[in-house]
Amino acid sequence: MKTDIQVRVNGVMESRQVEGNQTLLSFLRDTLDLTGAKEGCNEGECGACVVLLDGVAVNSCLVLAAEVDGHSVTTIEGLGDGDDLHPLQQAFLKHHAVQCGFCTPGVILTSISLLEQNRNPSEQEIREALSGNLCRCTGYRQIIDAIREVAK
Amino acid sequence: MLLPDLSYLRARTVEEALALHSEKPQARFMAGGTDLLPQTRAGKCSPVHRGGGSLPPRTVIDVKYIPELAEIRGTGDGSLAIGAAASVAAVAGHPEVRRHYPVLADCCLSLGSYPLRNRATVAGNICNASPCADTAAALLALDARVAAVGPKGRREIGIGDFFENPGQTSLLAGELVVDVILPEKSRGARGHYGRIARRRAVDISTVAVLVACIAGREPEHRVALLSVAPTPLRVTGAEELLDQKGPDAAAQAAEISMSVCNPIDDVRGTADYRRAMVGVLTERGVSALAAGAGRPGS
Amino acid sequence: MKTPKTPAVVGQDIQRVDGLSKVTGASKYTGDLKFPRMLYAQVVRSPHPHARVLNVNLDRAARAPGVCAVASGRDFPFHVGIYLKDQTVFATDRVRYVGDPVAAVAAETPAAAREAAELVEVEYEPLEAIYDVQQGIQPDAPRVHPDLGDYECVPWITPKEGTNICNHLKVRKGDYQGALKSCVEVVENTFEVPQVQHVPMEPHISVARVDRAGKVEVHTSAQSPFTVRHLLCACFNLSHGDVRVSVPTVGGGFGGKAGINLEPIAVALAMRARGRWVRVMVDRSEEFYAVVVRQGLTATLVTGVDREGRVQAQKMHYLWNCGAYGGYGVNVVRAAGYTCGGAYEFPNVWGDSIGVYTNRPVGSAYRGFGMQEIHWALERQMDLVAGRIGMDPAEFRLKNCLGPGKQTVTGQVLDEHSGRVDLCIRKVEERLRADRRTDPGDGLIRGRGMACAVKAPAMPNDAASAVILKFCEDATLEVLISGTDIGQGLQTVSAQFAAEALDLPVEKVRVRGQPDTDLSPYDWQTVASRQTWATGNAILRAAEKIKEQLFSVAAEVLGVDPGRLALRDQAVVDPDTGRSIPLVRLVMGYQYEDGHAIGGPVAAHDSYLPEGLLFLDPETSQSAKPVAKWTFGAQGVEVSLDPRTGQYKVDRVVACYDVGRVIHPGLIRGQVYGGVVQGLGTGMMEELKLDEKSGRVVNASLMDYKIPTASDVPGVMEAHFVETPQADGPFGARGVGEHTMIPTPAAVANALGDACGIQLKEMPITAERVWRALNRREDPK
Repeated sequence: MKTDIQVRVNGVMESRQVEGNQTLLSFLRDTLDLTGAKEGCNEGECGACVVLLDGVAVNSCLVLAAEVDGHSVTTIEGLGDGDDLHPLQQAFLKHHAVQCGFCTPGVILTSISLLEQNRNPSEQEIREALSGNLCRCTGYRQIIDAIREVAK
Repeated sequence: MLLPDLSYLRARTVEEALALHSEKPQARFMAGGTDLLPQTRAGKCSPVHRGGGSLPPRTVIDVKYIPELAEIRGTGDGSLAIGAAASVAAVAGHPEVRRHYPVLADCCLSLGSYPLRNRATVAGNICNASPCADTAAALLALDARVAAVGPKGRREIGIGDFFENPGQTSLLAGELVVDVILPEKSRGARGHYGRIARRRAVDISTVAVLVACIAGREPEHRVALLSVAPTPLRVTGAEELLDQKGPDAAAQAAEISMSVCNPIDDVRGTADYRRAMVGVLTERGVSALAAGAGRPGS
Repeated sequence: MKTPKTPAVVGQDIQRVDGLSKVTGASKYTGDLKFPRMLYAQVVRSPHPHARVLNVNLDRAARAPGVCAVASGRDFPFHVGIYLKDQTVFATDRVRYVGDPVAAVAAETPAAAREAAELVEVEYEPLEAIYDVQQGIQPDAPRVHPDLGDYECVPWITPKEGTNICNHLKVRKGDYQGALKSCVEVVENTFEVPQVQHVPMEPHISVARVDRAGKVEVHTSAQSPFTVRHLLCACFNLSHGDVRVSVPTVGGGFGGKAGINLEPIAVALAMRARGRWVRVMVDRSEEFYAVVVRQGLTATLVTGVDREGRVQAQKMHYLWNCGAYGGYGVNVVRAAGYTCGGAYEFPNVWGDSIGVYTNRPVGSAYRGFGMQEIHWALERQMDLVAGRIGMDPAEFRLKNCLGPGKQTVTGQVLDEHSGRVDLCIRKVEERLRADRRTDPGDGLIRGRGMACAVKAPAMPNDAASAVILKFCEDATLEVLISGTDIGQGLQTVSAQFAAEALDLPVEKVRVRGQPDTDLSPYDWQTVASRQTWATGNAILRAAEKIKEQLFSVAAEVLGVDPGRLALRDQAVVDPDTGRSIPLVRLVMGYQYEDGHAIGGPVAAHDSYLPEGLLFLDPETSQSAKPVAKWTFGAQGVEVSLDPRTGQYKVDRVVACYDVGRVIHPGLIRGQVYGGVVQGLGTGMMEELKLDEKSGRVVNASLMDYKIPTASDVPGVMEAHFVETPQADGPFGARGVGEHTMIPTPAAVANALGDACGIQLKEMPITAERVWRALNRREDPK
């Protein structure tokens, strides 16, 4: 069943009709062509789909598009771009915290959400907050280092 | 796995939620959706209420945007009411919870992952009624009450009477949980939550044991077990023993815990191991409590 | 190969060249690509572990709403396989594991495809299924591949007709039986490794179209576009010229995206839905069991030592649980066989590496290619033998390790360029002992252990990588490669090599690293830790040709001998006179002031193919040069253990590898950290659990198949490197991408043995297994 939604995505108001069973992840990727959020498991275990909903990190595969009517979403595309990167994006590059890159948008957005709530997290707090973002490539060390640099 | 066709309805008040449900009795209330959506994809949902089936819903009624359900507020009598739509993250971070009911904050922080906790709810966690539900350990220890509103009006269910079977509670068809109430009597309860899982974070527990104590003229101990019985379980025998004999009875309390639990073999571990760990975690919980665990600043 | 004295770019920590694209979300992976009117596939998979397929009826499915194509084994009875063609696109007469594809539909929406798939009617006759290797090798075991004798295979793979053995490699060196008799101590143990899965963050996905002119086009998350093309052509009997394979950004491979996977199904459906794009993907659950996994292993080792603690006789008996198909896995069986000595010199060896078919998910290439599995056995055995003879485990390893002048199990004599495992062992020991840990009195028991590692690329003797270098008008250099950057950083090191060779700033280099077989140069595969070395060499060779072209034109313009010229600061210079011509005036040809032009666009193609590799003797596996290069290393691990629960933490990992030359410090450290953590995953928590009543994998989800999170990372990870130059490596580099996960589980088990005396022989090392070992309780399995 279709529903009308109005949602601010990366600062732009989007008015669309969505199916009741469409996830926020699918809405972003398939309807808005914002493919930065990825489908890794579709069950909230891998974190590749993490976006910010009203500023807070959530698994977009576990959110229906209809639920975000009247709310705001930030994806990786809403951060910096080539000319003007967010400090976390810069830190990720500096610390080589990116390998295949599939987990990267979700990890960066989780980190932003964490730093919003906790300006100076300890290594332990960073690790805990990141534990819902699986990475198979980096071993997490350089990711943690990148976040610590921005947190300081 | 795909979600089947769904109708999404958003309730703005509790009355509207109940009315929508009475029009579509097969609909399910949805808060965080972090259990409901994966289960719906898999084709098999927790029944939740008595007589409920496991068929995925065709209609979901979103209750997150009912203003009073999102609140965490004091009730007139000194209890703390946690709205059904308050996220696990919000509960864990709430100053009243952290100060007066820290065991609930601890259990909340063991649930799922950081993004998941921003969406999941305490009410949803107990309605899903998994024997492994992290918040259930704290709620059992705190003698929480579940406030539900349904076609026949509002009632409160003691948490001890809430869990009936894996995936199923004592809620009746059409009832919506509106609050989880932490009683005034349990304010200041301290505890130690011990948990064994397959990795250090983001895992359903293989075994979990909460040992807590409600202070007062006559302190009351609480021992709650998860993942070793069809429902979350209190070990009243161990509790009474500890009330009488204090931390010196740790080993005996552990024996009692081990004898009342009823673990199974599954992908996370064997019954054998789980039972032994119930004993170890009970003993350690008692010692930790005696050593000052759960005290502010500890 | 000339090596500049102090490289400006090689060895530097430059920003990853594809990093900006990845941190901004600009990178497109296969699932991000949009194709007009794309169809969605649903594969019908066997619910039985072993069954005859009596009939497949697609009629109802074909008529279902939204369906544009259906396909089954009847339409596509074609065999596919990189080394042994034992698999068909869809099952024809038989299914061999739960998940084996039987048919597929393509429809306008995923929901329509799913519904249509349910209308496919398949009649099965269940057969007895086998799951373990001991069952599989029995003479009266049910045959998983009764037609094994009819399958095509490469000449260096030896399946045994009439059995379940898909390959058997024998190593016979010296006189094992004779040497064994004179040993003062003989130790025998059997070790077990279960099947595990790669768990790439991006599951497998392929999109294909056959256009109205018959051209086949595939976009796929794959490690090796040319191998995909080659195997598609072999499978469907097509000309290579009519098949095009493109690979965009890949979200992790780890060997699971080597070879060929979902592409044949995508192409089959595309053939049936002429003109329409068809997408085939697997969800996370299917990723666990329905594409590829890593083989299981049961390894029995016998080690005989002399009075001095030198191993004189070594026997290895490997039974690989290959699962239902062994098309790629047969080479794991082989590579493990000829590497069965690991980092050690064993003078007398009796080795058998045997691949066994079972009705389990399909074993294939996985980072390490059999090495982590055999090192689990070998490195545990080294500690057990050292313990038996009362020798320090590091000393025992040093006494027996390979090095220049020593001989591997195939009789290859290593030279001074082969790398120094002894230096790696010493470095690890030095670092482990440097930090004397004091007991904090927390009730935890502590221990430390180490393990060595070695691997060579397991590739055909003629596996080649080619590159094209060309200039844009503004003298930006384009480097076209067909090695895939699956995260390891291949695009970045390629840029470094090109920039270094042509004295360009890295900012003036663009690596075109998303290969398209229509347009890109040939590359065999991105596997085997071969890319930095092979593509790197090809780039350096091509760069020489670029220089020749530039110097040839510049020499004519300047009127000098081209031999005098050099490249400096984006210009060709004559060092004697200081006269120079900027590259921008040369790269498109040179135009004189009077208007006439000479030369042309400067571009070069070159390649690298390993030379001098010799086949193994079929009976003994002896060969003077069976592989192109060996990379050695060692890891040391510190653990702290809670004896009452069996839970333990890996507090510290010290890794040291002889990599020949560190090309990029940040990237190579990333390989160490990533490999160690992936090694800890397989070592501590990963296992595909199969229910033998149904043949199904019961933990096919991230909820029940756990991989490490950020909370599982050791507190300290150290990455150290020795640089013994690889004679034929670019700037002396050799590969290391796989090696970093090879020794980790054994090192952890050795550390636990040191901590509390338990002697684990089975992976993964779960808390419950440790608890059982401590309490001497039998594993219920």
